[in-house]
Amino acid sequence: MSQAATASASQGSHTGRILVIATHAFTQLMRMKVFYFLAIFAVIALASNFISLPQHEGPESMGSNVLSQIKSWSLGTMTLFSVVLAIVATALLLPKDIEDRTLYTVLAKPVPRFDYLAGKLLGVLMLIFVSLALMDLLMVAVLQVRTSMVLTQQQEMATALGWSQGTIDSMRAETEALGPNWSLQGAVVAVFLRSAVMAAIALMISTFSTSTLFTTIVSFLVYFIGYFQADARDVYLHSGEAGQGVLARLGSLLVSLILPDFQLFNVIDTVIQGGVLPLDVFGKLVFVGFYYTVFYTFASWFIFADKEF
Amino acid sequence: MTPAVEIVGLVKDFHTSFRRTPLRAVDDVSLTIPAGEVYGLIGPNGSGKSTTMKALLGLVAPTAGRCSIFGKDSLKVDSRNDVGFLPENPYFYKHLSGRETLRFYGKLCGLGGKTLDERVKEMLALVDLEDASDRRIGGYSKGMLQRIGLAQALIQEPRLLILDEPTAGVDPIGSRQIRDLIFKLRERGITVFLCSHLLEQVQEVCDHVGIIFRGKLVKEGRLEDLIAIEDQTEIVLKDASPELVARIEELVRQEGGAEVVRTGKPRTTLERLFLREIR
Repeated sequence: MSQAATASASQGSHTGRILVIATHAFTQLMRMKVFYFLAIFAVIALASNFISLPQHEGPESMGSNVLSQIKSWSLGTMTLFSVVLAIVATALLLPKDIEDRTLYTVLAKPVPRFDYLAGKLLGVLMLIFVSLALMDLLMVAVLQVRTSMVLTQQQEMATALGWSQGTIDSMRAETEALGPNWSLQGAVVAVFLRSAVMAAIALMISTFSTSTLFTTIVSFLVYFIGYFQADARDVYLHSGEAGQGVLARLGSLLVSLILPDFQLFNVIDTVIQGGVLPLDVFGKLVFVGFYYTVFYTFASWFIFADKEF
Repeated sequence: MTPAVEIVGLVKDFHTSFRRTPLRAVDDVSLTIPAGEVYGLIGPNGSGKSTTMKALLGLVAPTAGRCSIFGKDSLKVDSRNDVGFLPENPYFYKHLSGRETLRFYGKLCGLGGKTLDERVKEMLALVDLEDASDRRIGGYSKGMLQRIGLAQALIQEPRLLILDEPTAGVDPIGSRQIRDLIFKLRERGITVFLCSHLLEQVQEVCDHVGIIFRGKLVKEGRLEDLIAIEDQTEIVLKDASPELVARIEELVRQEGGAEVVRTGKPRTTLERLFLREIR
């Protein structure tokens, strides 16, 4: 027996093992041909570029609606793809390993259960990240081309109408705000963070669920709850005496700590309309996304650590 | 010398939603496997063989008792540095080729670079899958799956190999190959702990045997000691004439106190006949 091999076998680091499992999960999903979705996205992004909207407007709004539409369609498709992939892929990976008994062979190696879970999650996130990056690239390219077309058209029309240079510059700045910019990239990051939270939630549910279908349905329910839980808490706390007590407030705090508040991610809509994503709001989004992803990953580990197979 | 496997008073209860009293799958099992031995745990389906193995691998937690591998508590992850495991009817990741599968498991054990390349090559040669190494696992036959399973179990050069029904569902040729591999491993000093209900195969490869029934270890010991018929002696002659056999029988009768129980031609097994005819 070679001692070298045995010695190096015991040297495997947590990070190394997590990366091995993550790369494997990424390859597994990739070979399931999920990237075919990117072709659909390309069609949507290009199709949104050919929308012809009513042309009875003035130069200031001419074509700008198309820019919003491209962003709206692109970010909407990105959201759909990332959330569906985050939930379905994560819900599929764990039960499949148990059913095929490949989990036995993995856990029979010196692999801590946390490394296994973190690796699977990271693999899904890597896939979502690469997909979003490719979609982002396509969206920016389409948007860049269309923005310059719109700017040219506006310039020609405004000059023909005899607008002053100051007014033209102001109009140009407004149109450029609708084109590709850092706020738009921030919105794409927000889409990624939201899917990361959803993947972590699906991972946690799959550690105790008995089927992929159950995990998928419950995860989507949590996703929708995430959009109105803040409102529900607000209504409850301001509904009268029942919501004024210490217990009610503590309960509300607990709910907000456990269930994600996805309303924070509504800033994406502001960006679509040409609004700016302030750095502090972006920072808060990153923190919230990171917090919930880590929280659910550790919750998954807590359940999975004592699970018997 | 630290034994390869030590199981002391292992009890495993499973709580099912339909029964108030838990189901006892393993009931106070204790066994020790010295390093370098091939140990066979035999018993009917549902007797607790697989649960015992899972407890040894930390896949289930004992209700009572303890298991250790080369002195390390089997619930601790580091005990698995020295173990290779092949589960019953394994299905590996179908999207990977045989080589990719071995590389994946090797990396999980911390192997990398040239060491990993060499181990993968060595294991593919050992299980005779070099020609199929770049084919997807999804296209492997049952026997090939078992052999790639053995290769992944051995990838980090473990000192203990645990095999759960290693020849289940495999044809006689595949089954023979797996048993030949077990012999090779024993020659290399690797301890093998296998469970099976195919008694003839266990008899062929094992040094020690334990019989488990309804969760209890009912008999255990060296195979030779357990199956020997103490009051009988076997003499096998080659090219003996009928006259010689008659004289021997006459000699036994004259001596008294002993009797000839049976004479005749020893039989080969159906498996040996099959393997001889198709080669």
